[in-house]
Amino acid sequence: MANHSQFGFQDASSPIMEELMQFHDHALMVALAICSLVLYLLALMLTEKLSSSTVDAQEIELVWTILPAAVLIMLALPSLRILYMMDEVNEPDLTLKAIGHQWYWSYEYTDFKDLTFDSYMIPTSDLPLGHFRLLEVDHRVIVPTESKVRVIVTADDVLHSWAVPSLGVKTDAIPGRLNQTSFLASRPGVYYGQCSEICGANHSFMPIVVESTPLANFENWSSLLPS
Amino acid sequence: MANQLVILNVYDMSFKLLGFLDVKNVPCARESVLYGSLGSLVMGLGHFLATSKYLLLLGFLYYLQEKNSFYLLLGVINNGKSYELFSLSFSFFLSGRVRRSYDVAVGGFICTMLGYWFYCRFNLAQQRIRQRMLQEGMKNRILYEGSYLDPEKEQIGSERSDS
Repeated sequence: MANHSQFGFQDASSPIMEELMQFHDHALMVALAICSLVLYLLALMLTEKLSSSTVDAQEIELVWTILPAAVLIMLALPSLRILYMMDEVNEPDLTLKAIGHQWYWSYEYTDFKDLTFDSYMIPTSDLPLGHFRLLEVDHRVIVPTESKVRVIVTADDVLHSWAVPSLGVKTDAIPGRLNQTSFLASRPGVYYGQCSEICGANHSFMPIVVESTPLANFENWSSLLPS
Repeated sequence: MANQLVILNVYDMSFKLLGFLDVKNVPCARESVLYGSLGSLVMGLGHFLATSKYLLLLGFLYYLQEKNSFYLLLGVINNGKSYELFSLSFSFFLSGRVRRSYDVAVGGFICTMLGYWFYCRFNLAQQRIRQRMLQEGMKNRILYEGSYLDPEKEQIGSERSDS
């Protein structure tokens, strides 16, 4: 989960999120180079005498055509690589359906027989000591570690968005439409997210909690949960 | 209150260049900026010295290897066009040669920084791939060691059959 004064990403818990963080660092480095150049040009403009003796400037025009093209190529190639990586369709080990309601999420494990449950936020008044305010839910989404999970996201009433930042997942939940996303939790842990599309009065109070656990624990959980 | 846990967040100690690039926590960022600064200094100063009228004299002095040649060189530069020295010290008026040296320095900073960045990130990506392969290999070894799928077992078996 995020800290109180956090500006950067949360620690990556999936390979896609690691790639996204690498690309983010790369984009910021390119941004730093461009900002340095712009700051230098700004300082020059402030200190140089103004003159209008330039008639034509073929060389500078060549430079400021080729340089932006090079910058775009430096950014576009890794970006497209990750974009296609995110859309790869591998055989998922588990399929999970996330349905957004006002104002809670419901989940269906269609691989198992009638495994469905609702996930409501735990109100602050009922929150046990040491738990996270506005983030904890009564029923977490349990997934096995290091297994490809496909999530089909939809909504029952208005627009919602199923987002878990540390897994690098954010998918809009649109009524009447099924959106597909996938992730792979690299390590056991609990990953928090919040609804990311304005959906009414309690939009801020319908969090998402994904708990990644070893396969044996997941099987125990799925067999114990009453349908 | 006595049992309050104090968590030291390492990311609170970040240093953000121009307010957005965290050079402490981003891999390769610190080295890229440092090498870029060094490259900028070398290229800017190198351009300034290379385009100096007293370059030949500098070469001659180096050839002679005089002990006090450095002081002679300073005296020569000082007796030269003094406004060039003045413009070196961040004045508001930049002469042509100094301005060009500044341009080369900034270009050198950007090129060296980005060049080292690509080199370092490429090596980092290779290292991460090797780490993943190693993790996968260790996991497979734990799973298959001693079983009929163990490749080492097949190798030992073939050695025994050869002897």
